[in-house]
Amino acid sequence: MHFDPAVLVDYWPLLLQGAWLTLQVSVAALVMGYVAGIAVALIALVPGWLPGLVTGCYVETLRNIPFIIILFVVYYGLPFCGIRLPATLVGTTALALFASAYYAEIVRAAILALPRGQFESARAIGMSPMSAMWHVVAPQILRALVPPSTNMTLTMMKESSVLSSITVPELTYQSLVVQGNTFAPFEVFAAVASIYWLIAVVIAEASRRLERRVGAVQAEAVSRNRIADRYLSLVARRT
Amino acid sequence: MSAPPVLRVSNLTKRFHGVTALDKVYLDVHAGQIVALIGPSGCGKSTLLRCLTWLEQPDDGFIEVAGKPLGRELMPGGVVRRQNRRQIDALRPQVGIVFQQFHLWPHMTALENVVRPQTVVLGRPRDEATRRGIELLTRLGLADRMDRHPHALSGGQKQRVAIARALAMDPALMLFDEPTSALDPELVGEVLAVLRALAGTGMTMLVVTHEIGFAASLADRIAFMDHGRILEEGPARDIMAAPKEPRLRNFLDLVRADHRIVTTTVTPTE
Repeated sequence: MHFDPAVLVDYWPLLLQGAWLTLQVSVAALVMGYVAGIAVALIALVPGWLPGLVTGCYVETLRNIPFIIILFVVYYGLPFCGIRLPATLVGTTALALFASAYYAEIVRAAILALPRGQFESARAIGMSPMSAMWHVVAPQILRALVPPSTNMTLTMMKESSVLSSITVPELTYQSLVVQGNTFAPFEVFAAVASIYWLIAVVIAEASRRLERRVGAVQAEAVSRNRIADRYLSLVARRT
Repeated sequence: MSAPPVLRVSNLTKRFHGVTALDKVYLDVHAGQIVALIGPSGCGKSTLLRCLTWLEQPDDGFIEVAGKPLGRELMPGGVVRRQNRRQIDALRPQVGIVFQQFHLWPHMTALENVVRPQTVVLGRPRDEATRRGIELLTRLGLADRMDRHPHALSGGQKQRVAIARALAMDPALMLFDEPTSALDPELVGEVLAVLRALAGTGMTMLVVTHEIGFAASLADRIAFMDHGRILEEGPARDIMAAPKEPRLRNFLDLVRADHRIVTTTVTPTE
């Protein structure tokens, strides 16, 4: 037996299609999941016992069940309720649901880490809770959100391989097809592993850029202290 | 009949898990007056200020700002009606508060700190809000600091930005929570000058402090609080010269005895 990548020559368009779908599904789940996550985090912070209980149940349910089971419950549960949707749509939604629980915790923790006085001073001056979040809290937590969110997004992207079990033709599904046609599992999965690795690198790089961009806004503020002004600035200034 | 007091607090009560922080507090502050609220740490001074901005919801009692009820109102027939969030938020700009730690927003410049609430809360056009912000910051001696972010400002400068931020909302009343405690002791004179200048404009103020000298030299009236109650209230001179309440007498003796220690080492925790 020897390693023979030539068997992949005829099948690379299939793998590429799969990779493209994996990327699409991941980005869609990222967007949907983050929107849901922010909503859940904000509801969790509403005073009173009920919002906390409801969002707590939501988060704990999704975090305490393996993703493949969440996927099966949604995929087989919907037809049970008379709803029939394409597998890709169902799979993406389940993935977003799964990720939203973690995004919600990330957002909630970032908000709680900010000193209370920031929100309170905005409220005391007359801002509504949403205005206070938008003008005062959000700009200050943005940067702290990026690293943990990136971790979760990478996990979620890799978890999307589970969608192959409900026939979503993403990368893992296609690799199984190719493997069945070529009878060269090692070559196929080695190639697929590299493709996943590549997608992860792209996501990580995008996040690094985002962090730098968000960070630049805050670093500008930091560098403007008196000592830094004098010693770090390249612009000649009057004393 | 004269105009209603700028601030009227009646029967205000607040409990935290069974501990009574405010115990039937009554207090009137009239237009143009400066009232200093003094008392030992943990006596409920800061809780009272937090209730006056509705950051803390009192369990009982009423607050009136410039004749309008805040948070809770007595309807005809003795029915107590709780106001909704919008009603409370609408009245909040009327009560300016300068927090002990100022709580400026670090991602905005000094000027933006003053401008943003005007545009968001009062709906002022941006150029008008900016004009007002520049005017206030200039008046407070910060003309050359407006483009700086809060961490590039000294404590005293931060405090003045916080004052400008509150003043920009055209409040009927200004609350100060321990204005001297977050600053170096030698800045006390500076704070006093700023508050005096503010008093010169006719602003009504309620100042929480545990610095007796500061209270005596600033305030028209002094209210003494202990265990959540206002025990004695009157003209500053009378309170300082002839305190009637034994606990107030004790407090004044104690504070005068080692004034330096009190001002430099006690960090209020309430």
